[in-house]
Amino acid sequence: MENMILKGDRRDSTGTRLSRLLRKDGKLPVVIYGHGEAPESISLLQREVVVALKRGSRTMEIDVAGKKTQYLIKSVQYDHLNETPIHLDLTRFDLTEKVQVRVGIELKGIPIGLSDGGVLDQLMADLEIECLVTNIPDTLHPLVTQLGIDDVLRVKDIELPEGVIALADPEDRVATVKVLAIHDEPEEVESDEEGDDAQLPERIGRQAKDEGEGEAKS
Amino acid sequence: MALMPKRVKWRKSQRGKIRGFASKGNAVSFGEYGLQCLGSGWITARQIEAGRIAATHYLHREGKVYIRLFPHKPVSSKPLETRMGKGKGDPEFWVACVREGQVLFEIGGVEEDVARTALLRVAHKMPYRCRFVRRRHGL
Repeated sequence: MENMILKGDRRDSTGTRLSRLLRKDGKLPVVIYGHGEAPESISLLQREVVVALKRGSRTMEIDVAGKKTQYLIKSVQYDHLNETPIHLDLTRFDLTEKVQVRVGIELKGIPIGLSDGGVLDQLMADLEIECLVTNIPDTLHPLVTQLGIDDVLRVKDIELPEGVIALADPEDRVATVKVLAIHDEPEEVESDEEGDDAQLPERIGRQAKDEGEGEAKS
Repeated sequence: MALMPKRVKWRKSQRGKIRGFASKGNAVSFGEYGLQCLGSGWITARQIEAGRIAATHYLHREGKVYIRLFPHKPVSSKPLETRMGKGKGDPEFWVACVREGQVLFEIGGVEEDVARTALLRVAHKMPYRCRFVRRRHGL
């Protein structure tokens, strides 16, 4: 985890339109909250934020009007291509207090079950943990080499760094190796005999309505 | 067999308009790698099926393919050499409405280069430009 010092500008105005104008200028709208204090709206340079996020930073040191403060990145909103950040939530924190964050899980190793025709399925992409800000791991790398067919890696099996507690249910499944059901692909059958109606889906409530109309007419 | 709904409330639908960008379904959520659509419009059930076949044939039952779109919308057309009028035509095919940014297919359980090649083959079957994306771990 690396900390970067970013220069922020305080912004008095908020809202969609002004946020769009900021983004046009290459800036990113940011909100800071937490610790019972009033929320602050600032803006940061987008390219600096992108660099910080790529480095895996969990905290940011921000210089607003000469006052440097460290904040924890709470959440990042991305654009429709899930590529460029468009908004950032930062929270105030204390170095002695524990914080709750979500950390990504990247499975490490090749399971032995793959040689038996299994497929590794990662069911959980990230894990919510509680720890001091200084102890937040970049990513969790649980080993999956021992997983055979139908074996399951659970939250309790993940080795967490010292001082880190997982908040998820210990029995929750993180990854599994399973054999995919073999479906022989059916050949395309021309259904000329059955007619076009065979291709149409069933209509919800249509039969009951038809019967009702028929009764009314008769 | 191309995808289509099992049950519908209405047999025919209006054409509609596709506005804006994908605000959900735009991240890789099930597999490790995905194919993201860079255009907006309709993708027919046949095209989805062609993409699925392209991916599964390349993967040889390794890995898992996830299809993140479903053709809910019926498209009707009139028969050839028919005079105008006499009501709306019969449903001919089914389409999925996609917006720019939507993840169409995902693959998990294989190496990146294998997934990339498989998804490239799927992309050739799609009517819009697509790109390869990875799952985001963490922030």
